[in-house]
Amino acid sequence: MNDETTNGALRVRVLVFSILREKMGCDALTVALDAPATGADLLDRLERDHPALRAFRPVVRLAVNQTYAPETTALAEGDEVALITPVSGG
Amino acid sequence: MTRPRTTDDARVETGRLSIRLVHEPIDVAEAAAFLADPRAGGLDLFIGTTRRWTGDAETLELSYECYAPMAVKEMRRLAEEAMARWPLVRACIRHRLGTVPPAEASVLIGVAAPHRAEAFEACRFLIDRLKRQAPIWKREAYADGRLEWVQGERPPDLPGLDTGS
Repeated sequence: MNDETTNGALRVRVLVFSILREKMGCDALTVALDAPATGADLLDRLERDHPALRAFRPVVRLAVNQTYAPETTALAEGDEVALITPVSGG
Repeated sequence: MTRPRTTDDARVETGRLSIRLVHEPIDVAEAAAFLADPRAGGLDLFIGTTRRWTGDAETLELSYECYAPMAVKEMRRLAEEAMARWPLVRACIRHRLGTVPPAEASVLIGVAAPHRAEAFEACRFLIDRLKRQAPIWKREAYADGRLEWVQGERPPDLPGLDTGS
């Protein structure tokens, strides 16, 4: 892995929509994580700062840079990570 | 609010594929015109509309919120999957954002294919997959004053785990 991300912090941009946006009280935030970090690490951190996320954790899926990705995905500096609750378009 | 950031975020236009997020009423005639093609023997249009009554609950209007750049990418991916599975000549998707009153269209799926069987199948596939995968959410405004975000029955599929239905 890249040496720059094995020590120190990495920052990701988090996007939140619909019910989760209302429950968490924000539509976007920047989160600094200790590197290396996965999607699950990000969710753990967000859950500590925003307890409202806990109820949605079983059904939230992550999109990393606009593509669905498993929580095991390693995050990189500057990634855009969206929290996607079950969608209801159409 | 989360609205499409730029025009480029809100649409994909290739020769055979047209995908748009729109804030105004969906233009059905325009979509049908896009699908017209001498190689096609059938056009199939699905139009999803705001339903006023769900059981005893009266809906005054729906509001749609969207992660626009990803929604467009995901709808494009689904359309390309449909084009790989069926011999489609053209396909189009329109999804309206913001407020949609009863009886008005919130979504349109259109496909053109040489024969009707594949047109019906591909159209059904696209609306079913869109409703599971596209990062778009609707909020019901009920006549009794409640505002309620609708949550899909299941989370979206991750890449490589597609169920195809």
